[in-house]
Amino acid sequence: MGIELQSGEGLNPAEEKVSGIVNQNPVPVDSQDNKSFFQRIAENEKLASRLRRIFIWTTSILTVLFLFIFFIYIVPLLQEIPSPGKTTITNSAELKKEASYKKIVTQLSRDIQRFSRKYNGYTTGQSYLVINTTDNIFHLYRNKKQIREGHCSTGSFKMLKTEEGRSWIFKTPKGKFWIQGKVNNPPWRRPDWAYVEEGLPIPSQDDPGRYEYGVLGDYALALGDGYLIHGTIYKRFLGMPVTHGCVRLNDDDLKAIFNTLSIGSKVYIF
Amino acid sequence: METENVNKTNSKQTALIVLGIFMVSFLIYYLVMVFLSPLKKNREYGEMYSYKQDEKNKIDERVFSDSAYLKLYKEKAWLQSRIAMAETDSIYLTVNLPDSVVNLEISGVVVHSSTIKKQNISKIIRKGNDYIITTLFAKPLTIEKNYASIQKVPLMIKMAPKDTSEYKPDIIPDTADFEPVNYIMEVNDGMVIIVYQEERLNPGDGFHLFIFDLKYRLRQALRAMKSIITLKVPEYQPYIKLTLPRTDAKIIFRALPEQGQIAVYR
Repeated sequence: MGIELQSGEGLNPAEEKVSGIVNQNPVPVDSQDNKSFFQRIAENEKLASRLRRIFIWTTSILTVLFLFIFFIYIVPLLQEIPSPGKTTITNSAELKKEASYKKIVTQLSRDIQRFSRKYNGYTTGQSYLVINTTDNIFHLYRNKKQIREGHCSTGSFKMLKTEEGRSWIFKTPKGKFWIQGKVNNPPWRRPDWAYVEEGLPIPSQDDPGRYEYGVLGDYALALGDGYLIHGTIYKRFLGMPVTHGCVRLNDDDLKAIFNTLSIGSKVYIF
Repeated sequence: METENVNKTNSKQTALIVLGIFMVSFLIYYLVMVFLSPLKKNREYGEMYSYKQDEKNKIDERVFSDSAYLKLYKEKAWLQSRIAMAETDSIYLTVNLPDSVVNLEISGVVVHSSTIKKQNISKIIRKGNDYIITTLFAKPLTIEKNYASIQKVPLMIKMAPKDTSEYKPDIIPDTADFEPVNYIMEVNDGMVIIVYQEERLNPGDGFHLFIFDLKYRLRQALRAMKSIITLKVPEYQPYIKLTLPRTDAKIIFRALPEQGQIAVYR
């Protein structure tokens, strides 16, 4: 009975008073369950320290992440906030009547006309050829209109190196060129790299064995520095970067270009 | 023992509070400096490109806020800049922002044209003083540094065979290239032109772009941090970000010389 009373089970405070026994411990046995989550953690030191550590780590990681995003992404956005001082258009009617204003505007209009004439003059009505070395495509123009386009082959961007330290870079030069010569049935004089590339001994410069016929097609147009626009026997490679720097075309395109361009015609390579 | 523990906790808390205060103060200081940087750039442009009055032929400054004058002035600057480049015989780029067109040109002849699919421009260029920004673009911009996801010159090294027995004919080149094309061109006057490819051809392209962009942002952040730590206002880089079709972006990058020139019309 005493034990029962001490535990307080089954007795309400009124009954306790009646029985004359005051419970010394008013907390019920099942009070463990009623404790808050935080109270229980506070009592369990091991768990508390573990949770504290997790909290510190999470906060640190979040802080670092915030700082990273702040410096990398937010700051550049914030830099766009300050206003740089936009021009306020006034269009003063009074100003427009002034002789000095009219003079300035007339001068500007004249300058624009002069510059436009000059700029438009760069694109002449003469025929010219444009070669795109990235996509290996050509465009032929006459009277400022494109009259033909098609595939070509340009430099392979290969660098041939020998053990002796000689090297050649096979790339098509870029920029503005002009046709410096036109040849029918051009022979190919094999340069040194053509022998080095195949592991053959290099013959003397005047060796007649250097000349090959029929490999460059029916026509060749010279761009200077040994670079040619010519035909090819490797037609399956057209549209690919495979040459040693020259521009290769198929027979029909080569003939059209040969007949359209004259010596002095511009060739733009990019 | 208990007092010692309490002291330790207190000193830890104090250290944390001091660190927190320091960090917050630094962030505020950083923000102030960062806010000042575009204003500083704007002031620099103003000093360099605003109209300098000539004692003999004074101009009524109201013309700089006249729309008819500014329109003509923009037109003249655009032509002036392109003519300056056309006379160099080199390959150059023209960027027409209102028409969303970029052209590759050689000596005034358009050799390649592309449409800008998306553009994002710095406020300083977009909304800056019309006269000053137009004067800035009246001269071509010169590329000073390139950062790109592709090589400018894709050289492949091939060792020559010692004799005919070692010779192997070239196989058909692999023309299937899937590398993403994104690049940054830092130009003079502290500006930057950034080109992104429009298409996401491969699943990895988005991630690649993220990394490419992140690297650039990190570089910028480090640069800014260096300046701020040394109590200097960081350099603000006004930008023009363009999104182009991949093939066009590649053609432009490969065609432009290392120190190529660019004309901008806004």
